[in-house]
Amino acid sequence: MSFQEKNIAVSLANFTLILGFYSIRVFQMIQGGSFNSTNVFRLWGTIIALAVVVTIFATILTHILSAIIHAIKTGEEKPDIEDIEDERDKLIDLRGTKVTYLVSSLGGFLSMLTFVLGQPALVMFTLLILSGVVAQVIGDVSRLYLYRRGL
Amino acid sequence: MIKRRINNNIRKLRFFHNEMTQQELAEKVGVTRQTIIAMEQGKYSPSLELAFRIALAFEVPLDEVFSYDPETESN
Repeated sequence: MSFQEKNIAVSLANFTLILGFYSIRVFQMIQGGSFNSTNVFRLWGTIIALAVVVTIFATILTHILSAIIHAIKTGEEKPDIEDIEDERDKLIDLRGTKVTYLVSSLGGFLSMLTFVLGQPALVMFTLLILSGVVAQVIGDVSRLYLYRRGL
Repeated sequence: MIKRRINNNIRKLRFFHNEMTQQELAEKVGVTRQTIIAMEQGKYSPSLELAFRIALAFEVPLDEVFSYDPETESN
């Protein structure tokens, strides 16, 4: 598994956990009768902050762990991990981003449709961030799939 | 299974160039070893620029490294 693939796998794991956390919190709010704007927007903030912080730390951690594993395997003091991004990586990333945008746009459209159909605005906002996280997960899955299947 | 139209002799050429490793070739042409592996397995067709760099690395014409198979296109 290349460094880029490891990075994507870590990102996938992060966003799956974030998706799980978000879904559970929304479910708890609905069950507990606390599904109101204050709680929903607080959750929005938490999810965005989590996504940013976790992604940064996970990238750093992947780099460090890759270097340690490489050093153990090869016995080099200054391990040279292959973290360059070549044309194949860029192409796969581009296609993954396309999938992410596609799912995100579809999610955005469906979210707004709920509002048009008479649902409260909170439902729209809840679905909006849900579609964003789901889009990221599907984008990462498609990137990993392209690395395995080929372009 | 996707049928590839562009075939290559990279594995064979590496063997005839003092068994050049995938890492050495990757460094020569400026890509990762994973990309060389993907090309050898027929999972990736390189850009024209990379194709020329690979041919230059082996000091052979481009058509000795890559070949186009129109048969698979018509299928």
